[in-house]
Amino acid sequence: MEYLSTLILIALSAALINNFVLHYFVGICPFIGVSRRVDMAFGMGCAVTFVISIAALLSWLLTYYVLREGAPLTVVLTRDPTVDLSILNYIVYIFVIASSVQFVEMYVRKYFKPLYKAFGVFLPLITTNCAILFACLEIMKHVSGVSDPAQMWGVLESLVMAASGGIGFTIAIVIMAGIREELDHCDVPKVLRGAGITLITAGILALAFMGFTGVDRGLQKVLQGRDKAAESAEAPDASAQTSRNWETGI
Amino acid sequence: MSIILLAGAIMLVLAILMAWVLGWANKTFHVEVDPRVEAVNAALPGANCGGCGYVGCAEYAEAVVAGACPPDKCTVGGESCAKELAGILGVSLEQSWPFRPVIHCGAHYSDRLGRTDYKGEQSCTTANLVAGVQGCTYGCLGFGDCVSACDFDAIHIVDGLATVDYEKCVGCGACARICPRNIITMVPFKSRQMVVVTCSNNDMGKDVKAVCKVGCIGCKACERNSGGFFRVDKNLPVLDYDKYDPDNLDSIRLAVDKCPMKRLLFIGWPTEKDLEATKDMEAPDLVEADFKTTVDQTDWQG
Repeated sequence: MEYLSTLILIALSAALINNFVLHYFVGICPFIGVSRRVDMAFGMGCAVTFVISIAALLSWLLTYYVLREGAPLTVVLTRDPTVDLSILNYIVYIFVIASSVQFVEMYVRKYFKPLYKAFGVFLPLITTNCAILFACLEIMKHVSGVSDPAQMWGVLESLVMAASGGIGFTIAIVIMAGIREELDHCDVPKVLRGAGITLITAGILALAFMGFTGVDRGLQKVLQGRDKAAESAEAPDASAQTSRNWETGI
Repeated sequence: MSIILLAGAIMLVLAILMAWVLGWANKTFHVEVDPRVEAVNAALPGANCGGCGYVGCAEYAEAVVAGACPPDKCTVGGESCAKELAGILGVSLEQSWPFRPVIHCGAHYSDRLGRTDYKGEQSCTTANLVAGVQGCTYGCLGFGDCVSACDFDAIHIVDGLATVDYEKCVGCGACARICPRNIITMVPFKSRQMVVVTCSNNDMGKDVKAVCKVGCIGCKACERNSGGFFRVDKNLPVLDYDKYDPDNLDSIRLAVDKCPMKRLLFIGWPTEKDLEATKDMEAPDLVEADFKTTVDQTDWQG
């Protein structure tokens, strides 16, 4: 039950509270570039969610088995549990993202022709989407930098975080596209037309999403209410609050 | 040292692995593309204007090879492109005419009555929603939606009236699609100059006179004189271009001469006579702006 509630908290956190676009400001290029029409924005969001999940799965496998300190592969090769290959993370993740996008494109082209047509140019564009690299790095932070094995993220946590991050991206870009469609009919001052008003809109949207801050605490209380209440009665200063909470872990 | 070697080795192994997977995927997921599609795609101009009715040149190429569409639909490439496509596909080509837009309005600003100082958004689509921008509810509004729709700089507003530059026009039909009053139609140009009706007003003659100095009054002079080529319907002459024969224009010329409002015009590419008339006129080579006297038209709204 606690595991499930952790997953729900991770998902909610990645999708709404720590929205990739509106909280961390990653993946801004497609957010500004492809948010002219709602249907295109939704297509882009779906493509990102699709690729981000695959990239997260691959990067978790690589981080867990190869890159982290004391990873099984390096221990077998060098018999030295202190070898840390996490210096390679950026280059490996970029490598993995680029090849998985290529692979997905070929696969979709062969077996899902209508989907391939719907994605169109977006699929190769995702290769350079920093939201995906960000998700990989976030996963690395929770796999290789953690000393306590109990707090280390498993493959399921990573996948849930990445997929709900993609869903959060879709929500943000679709809302933005809806606003921009309405904005076309507005009398915007000449100096602000185009990129100016778009960035201001994005900023206000980010402010609006700040309203989600703290939702996870309330939800945590509801989900884990009984055990937490019992725990805090026994030990008021227990650091259990921060145990597996992604929000406060950063 | 050993870490560097290990890192290098792991990257190398990863690279080989990924290359192998992608190579395998490329072979396994290979999609057969008809070589004729590529050939047709290469023969098309690549303007992606949508004049053929498809989204882009690539989609039109697929449709042509699949036989869903005849090879002469590309208006940009014209006859030579159609011939090339027909050659690739091995089909014969029917006689086809280039379609070019025609503006069914002939009134410049001074000819239009009841025109008000419209302050709203400067676009025909919005001005068309407002009553009273000008007296005529059929004719050209002159805000230039067609000008911004044109990718080829082939249509301009000249003294309030949209005017097609037939030297530049490729016939993609973007202007005809965007015009909110539907006064632009695509006409098959069987000769360099075609006879067209440059008015769209369906009202009775008296009402037309009240809003326009040059509008068609529906007098039926053309119907009487052309021997059936013109037929007046809803106070406007209707043309049957199937009956139009560029070599036998006598009856049409008679009708054109008899038109009291001079609304039947031959328009199209400039004739040799026009070129002769403008031969001696000199165009300035290059006009340079003089910043001391030129007023910047940008309105500051800060």
